[in-house]
Amino acid sequence: MTSLTAKREAEPGFWLSRQYNRLTLKQRRTLMGYLFIMPFILGFLIWWLGPAMVAGYLTVHKWNFLSAPRFIGLAHFEKLVSDPILAQSLKVTIVFSAISVPLGLVFAFFLASLINSKFRFIAIFRTIYFLPSIVPAVANAILWAWLFNTEFGLINYIIRAFGGPKIGWLQDPNWVMLAFVILTVWGVGGSMIIFLAGLQGIPQIFYEAAEIDGAGRWQRLIHVTLPMMSPIIFFNLVIGFINSFQVFVSALLITDGGPQRATLFLVLHIWRTAFSSQKMGYASVLSWLLFAILMLLSFFVFRYIGSRVYYENPGE
Amino acid sequence: MSISRREFLKLTGGSATAAAMLAQLGYLPPVLAQDVTTITFGGWGGVAEDEGVKAAIEVFMEENPDIAVEWQHTPDAGEYGRILLSSFAAGTAPDTGFILSDNYETLAVGGALMDITDLVKNDPLLGQPNYFIEPQESNRCEVNGRWYGIGSTWVAHHFYYNAEMFEAEGITPPGFQDDEIWEWEEFLEICKVFTRDSSGRNPGDAGFDSEDIVQWAVDWPFWWMPLGLAAHANGGEFLTEEGLIGLDSPEAMEGLQRISDLVYKHHVAPRSAALASLGMNNVQMVDTGRLAMAVDGSWALSWMNPSLMNVAMGTGALPKMAQPASIMQAHFHSVLSSTEHPEEAWRWVRFLATPFYQEHFCKIGLWIPNQSAMLTEEGLEGWIREGIHPPNYSQFATDYLPKHGVAVAIPPGYIEAANDYINPAFEALANGEMAVDVMPDAVRAANEILTAAKEDM
Repeated sequence: MTSLTAKREAEPGFWLSRQYNRLTLKQRRTLMGYLFIMPFILGFLIWWLGPAMVAGYLTVHKWNFLSAPRFIGLAHFEKLVSDPILAQSLKVTIVFSAISVPLGLVFAFFLASLINSKFRFIAIFRTIYFLPSIVPAVANAILWAWLFNTEFGLINYIIRAFGGPKIGWLQDPNWVMLAFVILTVWGVGGSMIIFLAGLQGIPQIFYEAAEIDGAGRWQRLIHVTLPMMSPIIFFNLVIGFINSFQVFVSALLITDGGPQRATLFLVLHIWRTAFSSQKMGYASVLSWLLFAILMLLSFFVFRYIGSRVYYENPGE
Repeated sequence: MSISRREFLKLTGGSATAAAMLAQLGYLPPVLAQDVTTITFGGWGGVAEDEGVKAAIEVFMEENPDIAVEWQHTPDAGEYGRILLSSFAAGTAPDTGFILSDNYETLAVGGALMDITDLVKNDPLLGQPNYFIEPQESNRCEVNGRWYGIGSTWVAHHFYYNAEMFEAEGITPPGFQDDEIWEWEEFLEICKVFTRDSSGRNPGDAGFDSEDIVQWAVDWPFWWMPLGLAAHANGGEFLTEEGLIGLDSPEAMEGLQRISDLVYKHHVAPRSAALASLGMNNVQMVDTGRLAMAVDGSWALSWMNPSLMNVAMGTGALPKMAQPASIMQAHFHSVLSSTEHPEEAWRWVRFLATPFYQEHFCKIGLWIPNQSAMLTEEGLEGWIREGIHPPNYSQFATDYLPKHGVAVAIPPGYIEAANDYINPAFEALANGEMAVDVMPDAVRAANEILTAAKEDM
């Protein structure tokens, strides 16, 4: 018996289990809680906060990967205000965001309303509308590059069949932004599903009460659906803005920022500055600028739009 | 003594782990490692390049049993360049590797590449006078008078044409000899013959619909090599001797304008040339008779050659404006200065500059030699292959390039200057804007970046 106990004590993990057994229930729950969130905490520290801190350090350094970072003070920040390429990149990103986010919201809401109906094969329609949002980004980019091809693309083929002009979707700087908006709006399946869940969560009783009061279809939408959906709309709006400022894969693969910088989105500009121009310091400043823009944008959205959101149970 | 199955597994597992750890720490005597030094080799390329490198490694390792080469392959060149940069930052750069020509000087000056000048000069084979085609090789390899890599090959642009379309029209295609190279005006007239709208009309005919062209004469891409050569062909320069961009001179801008005019003034080239790799590419267009001539790099011969095309095809020199010209460049093979095995790394890089390795890629149409011996009658037999190389192709290497090839050394800062200013200006040209309107500002801004990069080095 003694030898068995001694053997057990020597086993790895015995000490830990004894320590664990000594804890109170509250302490055990706290420990387990921290252990369960540890993967996220570690991921956050290693892959987010760590690089962000390094980027913060690099904002006042010049570093080309080859030699040690050299302190240059605020020179990168001085360049920030007089950089024409950055100005163009910000303009592209803001214009895209201002067009694609509202349009995407309306389209996703419209689709969700359509597939909220009850009729045969509705599941098939829901799948069809949702599918684009799970197409891998690279496949999506190549698919649209083909569709938008000036000479052989399906879209120009259809336009030409109706007697329209041959549009340089991806070559003409006046058209390429619209091409990116179409591409983005096509992938609103994710927002659509969130809207659908919201629509299905609205109690039928509200519609019945409104109907009894004589409300028509339009009035029910304005006075029942939209207020009840406002938290969902607000959520999709914030996520939409954040995503619209992070366009990268499609811009890199379809146009590489062109033509004539018309799709030089901010993230693509940051990436190029770092890994093509070998200016890690300046790229870090641009990354922090993006962070600041998103923080400010979120602040204003919460301040001026968030206050108009109706929460059924605000305390929860 | 008897041991249980569990104890046996514990013992063997423990021993293996301990041996692996000791080997990692270098505690095992060298005899167990069989005296083999492993070096890494980074590079990019499609299937043909990947297979070629693997075949070369096999031969090298047979000849050098004390060295093992580990191939670190990335399919895309641009992606490889970024991986290489990240590996410098992480301290995990390969011992040897491909170096992109547009980043060679930057990396050399930045201390990332090993100085191999003395090794090249004192080598019994590579150090022979005119082992390489000179002075082009020295011009591109030397940075401040020192060698930091050896050019892998030469590549340059020329025509690929559908010979059946030429025969049908009774037009003699261009060749590589001086008297076979078209004048620009002659080229334009021929282009008009090959271009047709859906009603069969040619440019210049009454009722010709430039929006409904079904057969084009030429596809001339809008990126730096095919546009830069146009500047040289018209008497200008892509890069000046000072290492600045020279595309704002009147001659260079006129050369660029002539290319843009092929699309917008003469209507003999498709608009989407810059994105020809999407949709139907130039190979399919030549193969299906929708395009008579494609301007493409010599590397394209590995997939646009007589044995792979459904139509009879040929190759020829690009037309001259003021003079014939084609820009020559290629990636380098270098020893990275962070290597712990400089001697072994040099032996491998040296092997890559011997005829065996170069012949392999020349034979499949991907490369053109940079070694003089491969241009002799005997040398040509080693790599010119029927079915891959059209009958006149050797003249491109032996006659045309030595006389009219323009070797360029790309200065530090070029990638940024190109991304930010030169490429957008080329895109503007591709969209029909005039060279005189877009080039001066773009070149001025680009040269500011190049000047700053030079001062920074």
